Amino acid sequence: MKTFAAIDVGSYELSMKIFELSGKNKLREIDSVSQRLDLGTGTYATGKISADKMDELCRTLKEFTKIMDSYKVDDYKAYGTSAIRETSNQMVVLDQIKQRTGLDIEVLSNSEQRFLDYKSIASKGESFRRVLEENTAILDIGGGSIQVSLFDNDTLVSTQNLRLGVLRILEVMKNIKATPARFEHLVDEMVMAQLSSYKKLYLKDREIQRIILIDDYVSPWAVKQVGRRKEEAAITFEDFDTLVSYWNKNEISQLAKKLDTVEEKVPLVFISSIISKHVAMMMGAKKVWTPGVTLCDGIAYEYGESIGMFKEEHNFEEDIVACAMNISKRYQGSQKRAETLEAITATIFDSMKKVHGLGRRERLYLRLASILQDCGKYISMSDIGTSSYNIVMATEIIGLSHKERELVANIVRFNHIPFGYYEQTMEQQQMDRQTYLTVAKLTAILRLSAGMDRSHKQKLKRIKATLQENELIISADTMEDLTLEKGYFDSRAAFFQEVFSVTPVLKQRKKI
Amino acid sequence: MKTGTKKASDNKAGTRKVSENKVSENKANTGKTKAGNHKGKAAKTDVSKTGNGKVAHDFTAPEYYTNRELSWILFDHRVLNEARDKSNPLFERLKFLSITASNLDEFFMIRVASLKDMVNAGYEKTDISGMTPKQQLAALDTAIHELVNLQYSTYNRSLFPALVQNGLTIVKSHEQLTKEEGKFIDQYFEENVYPVLTPMAVDSSRPFPLIRNKTLNIGAMVRGKDSDDELEFATVQVPSVLSRVVELPERDGMRRVIFLEEIIERNINKLFLNYDIICAHPFRIMRNADLTIEEDEAEDLLQEIEKQIKLRQWGEAIRLEVEAGTDKRLLQFLENELSLGDDAIYAIDGPLDLTVLMKLYGLDGFQHLKDPKYEPQAVPELPAGCNILEEIRKGDILLHHPYQTFTPVVDFIRQAAVDPNVLAIKQTLYRVSGNSPIIAALAQAAENGKQVSVLVELKARFDEENNIVWARKLEKAGCHVIYGLVGLKTHSKITLVVRREEDGIRRYVHLGTGNYNDATAKLYTDMGLLTCSEPIGEDATAVFNMLSGYSEPLFWNKLSLAPLWLKEKFLYLIEREKKYAEEGCPARIIAKMNSLCDRDIMAALYEAATAGVKIDLIVRGICCLKVGIPGVSENITVRSLVGTFLEHARIFYFENNEHPEFYCGSADWMPRNLDRRVEILFPVEEPALREELWHVLTVQLADTLKAAVLQPDGSYEKVDGRGRKAICAQAQFAAEAVTKAKEAAKLTAAQDVKHKRTFTPAERREE
Repeated sequence: MKTFAAIDVGSYELSMKIFELSGKNKLREIDSVSQRLDLGTGTYATGKISADKMDELCRTLKEFTKIMDSYKVDDYKAYGTSAIRETSNQMVVLDQIKQRTGLDIEVLSNSEQRFLDYKSIASKGESFRRVLEENTAILDIGGGSIQVSLFDNDTLVSTQNLRLGVLRILEVMKNIKATPARFEHLVDEMVMAQLSSYKKLYLKDREIQRIILIDDYVSPWAVKQVGRRKEEAAITFEDFDTLVSYWNKNEISQLAKKLDTVEEKVPLVFISSIISKHVAMMMGAKKVWTPGVTLCDGIAYEYGESIGMFKEEHNFEEDIVACAMNISKRYQGSQKRAETLEAITATIFDSMKKVHGLGRRERLYLRLASILQDCGKYISMSDIGTSSYNIVMATEIIGLSHKERELVANIVRFNHIPFGYYEQTMEQQQMDRQTYLTVAKLTAILRLSAGMDRSHKQKLKRIKATLQENELIISADTMEDLTLEKGYFDSRAAFFQEVFSVTPVLKQRKKI
Repeated sequence: MKTGTKKASDNKAGTRKVSENKVSENKANTGKTKAGNHKGKAAKTDVSKTGNGKVAHDFTAPEYYTNRELSWILFDHRVLNEARDKSNPLFERLKFLSITASNLDEFFMIRVASLKDMVNAGYEKTDISGMTPKQQLAALDTAIHELVNLQYSTYNRSLFPALVQNGLTIVKSHEQLTKEEGKFIDQYFEENVYPVLTPMAVDSSRPFPLIRNKTLNIGAMVRGKDSDDELEFATVQVPSVLSRVVELPERDGMRRVIFLEEIIERNINKLFLNYDIICAHPFRIMRNADLTIEEDEAEDLLQEIEKQIKLRQWGEAIRLEVEAGTDKRLLQFLENELSLGDDAIYAIDGPLDLTVLMKLYGLDGFQHLKDPKYEPQAVPELPAGCNILEEIRKGDILLHHPYQTFTPVVDFIRQAAVDPNVLAIKQTLYRVSGNSPIIAALAQAAENGKQVSVLVELKARFDEENNIVWARKLEKAGCHVIYGLVGLKTHSKITLVVRREEDGIRRYVHLGTGNYNDATAKLYTDMGLLTCSEPIGEDATAVFNMLSGYSEPLFWNKLSLAPLWLKEKFLYLIEREKKYAEEGCPARIIAKMNSLCDRDIMAALYEAATAGVKIDLIVRGICCLKVGIPGVSENITVRSLVGTFLEHARIFYFENNEHPEFYCGSADWMPRNLDRRVEILFPVEEPALREELWHVLTVQLADTLKAAVLQPDGSYEKVDGRGRKAICAQAQFAAEAVTKAKEAAKLTAAQDVKHKRTFTPAERREE
């Protein structure tokens, strides 16, 4: 049994949940506190957290540490989201928090945050399994943006971030001085304008059976309706219509009472319910499910995984890979070549473990780079490296942090252009040495592997790799002519050797 | 003299400020009530016809309600009736009379003062019964004078002669003392009284002194010896450090006592040696004590309250009690100095401040004239020396005080304080007894490294001083002390113990209807629940998170909290009964509480009753609801129980179409409870415990000895016991508790034999 504290330094609320983790993926929430603190508004406007907000933030976090002490927690994880992400003096802020509260806050990128939200559903166990059985969309509504993810038979098909967050929409409504009665129509227009292109790209004729809603606005109301004891709460179109009709008829104070919430949240509940309703209608789903989970649930689930307490029922890594494949597909990357490269790089990576000392996460980067390495072709055949880099940098990959995405993008780039040494280029990118070395190592492996499939004809079969002293013996079955491959192999072996001090040797096993 | 006057006007300004606040608060409330009251909105007249021909009432019409202050007077009358009831032991009757007096004091300081503030502020809004503050004051003036007259005629005509008959004489005035007694008294005065007296004279150089609230004083008109100067005023406080009852040597087998003020009066010339005493009489003043703390301005609540307590003694005078036959010159002087009108003067035919009778009750002897002292019984589920947490794990435990002892509640905290696996203890404290064992246990827990959070409600009326001392003590021990909430009183009674067990955190919760006060737990009837139910535990954690300033939980599992959700919950429960009644299903509400005066609730009750819900209310004190209004409240009965113990529990029963729900809580159906306090209502769900609650309610409804039933004319009448079995609910509960405890003890003894495998020889009985 482990006691764990998950802290979410959100844009308008600080919250902490205390969990007990036990075997069989059991996650028991034993305490939950939250405190409204609007960090977002100030930060978005000025790029800084004001001194009084900073004081309150530290005071509350200090209180959190006392609660953590009272439960004698074994470990904690504290994440900052967009407000912290968008402060220009992030390092100073984090250091101050550390000094004043002793807490280490890590900052989540949007895609990491969404991935955790997505994992928070997994913390619900049973309902998550049901998600995977049907065609499902996850609608994750935040203050600044919303994230739509589609699932098809246990796989993430696509995920897209749209800048349609409730706070943002409310801001627009205020600017255009929209009357409450016009809200639904206007919000619908705004949302649909962006969603129609999304629909063309991803949805096509896909039938979505259910939508899972993650938000801090409609969900609490929905969960209140059914009670926490139930696994999940569902909202029908009628419910949304009821909610929207309240909006048209009542004053804010009465609405707040009706919805059992604070007045400032009332418009947000309505915007969120309008978005949910219209997304559900567009996708043809009959019901919207609200598991009532928060980021803290996801943080705890991730922690359970990381300490090996939770056995993954669902392979989240595959979701990240699926995401990369979708990007590759969109830019007409070769699926076959991707598969070949994945196989070769994996073989080499595994055989070189003793030398490179990298782990499972890095293996994933390599895999992603193998999939994405030629996506830039779509834009420019002559400058694949830079184009691919740009595509990867511009496309969100759920589950990867910004730093990780940059890492993958660089591997992809240096697969095509000469490696930029730290002293020359990497420093400009503000990449730390550790990351740089990872990029170098993985680039070396990818380059070597790509060379082995230079003709893109998947000539090599059953590739095996063995490390013998200072040589990496790579053997493969093939009857075809390998002149081209061997040529490229040798030219790329130099970089490989430079990075690992291991000479790769390609041996052809001719089998009839 | 000048300084004195200036102070008085300062005070007035202070009071006005307070009253303005109150006015706006009241206005806000009225607005809220109206808005919330969707039912009454449409109908302007009281009765109108709806479309389907049914009669629709405006259940908020003023004629459906009794003024709360007048209803309170009726309550004090019911207590007074106990003092007049010859079937009660004589000394118990003294006690009841004393209670009516202390009740009335508090009523004056809070309610009358508040009405006066409103009148001074020109506030004319009517109450639920349609009376303006001015009209209420006028009605109260008559009613209170009547009540006081009845108090003293009870004392003079009934109790005093009965005491003489039983061998105790109260010497009414020092003039009635024998020569020997006079000597005795004078010596007593010189040795014990004189050293602690502070006589004060008023003349042009010395201003009118501060006469402390509620204290007994002797005022005198004096004149300089051998002079023709004007009369001067002198006063001396009857010291509260000395017993007001002084026993004289026995005479002819008769015990005799005299009151301290008579002793001082007899010797007053010794205090003002240079003066001739023209006249001397006891007097007592009551001041406005409705303290409204300006919390927004208060930087530190603790300091502010300390300041307010000092202020309270300075509040504007609102009542002057003097002995009947007091010299007119003295009376005139006091009236002028205190700026009082005739209606505020009470000329008393007997000793001032009848709370002295409580002291008389404490005299040694006379046991046959007192009820035998009731010893709270052991709780069968919690035998002495048991591990309370372990017993709670076996199932929820209901406690019924004072029939059952309060000790398990104290032990609950004591044991948790030393339990190595307990992580945290959290508690709300409203009124704590002096030298509270709970405080000691909490302090110990903090010293043992547990996280201890205590919300000390500093705004508990008249107890602030006491609470501040404890709060400081707890802080010293390392507890996290929350000094109440801004704008709200925390009236809920809840304790949470968080313990780390093999299968994770387990929460033990105590919820009660009464304060964590081991002294009053012997006098007040209250319910308590000990449970480790997970849903309640989660809610309890959420309660303390909210009390610490964190946001509300996503939702509540079992508990309902005021001021945010409780009223809605009650209205929902009442409405649900109404719906069932309309559908022809069984519908019934039984509710027991201290006071009923929330209009929304009462209107909902009328509406439910009209729909056919049978409603039985057991309301000890104020009840603004009227019974027997044709077509409105014929289905409602109201009864009030006044007995040896103060009825204090709040229990609610809702039939719910044969799926009854039972609740207990800290809140009355009063606006102050539902809108301005943190209160908790909790369900009692285990079948055996529900049976117990059902038993409590039904026995109280069957009481024929101590119950008074509200009549359609607004009066209360004792139940006509003829032809019925005499039932005194309190006596029955007391006897049942004794039986249960005995049975449990026997059972434990039998189990012990099996457990220890030895017999215990009985001791030889003394003949």
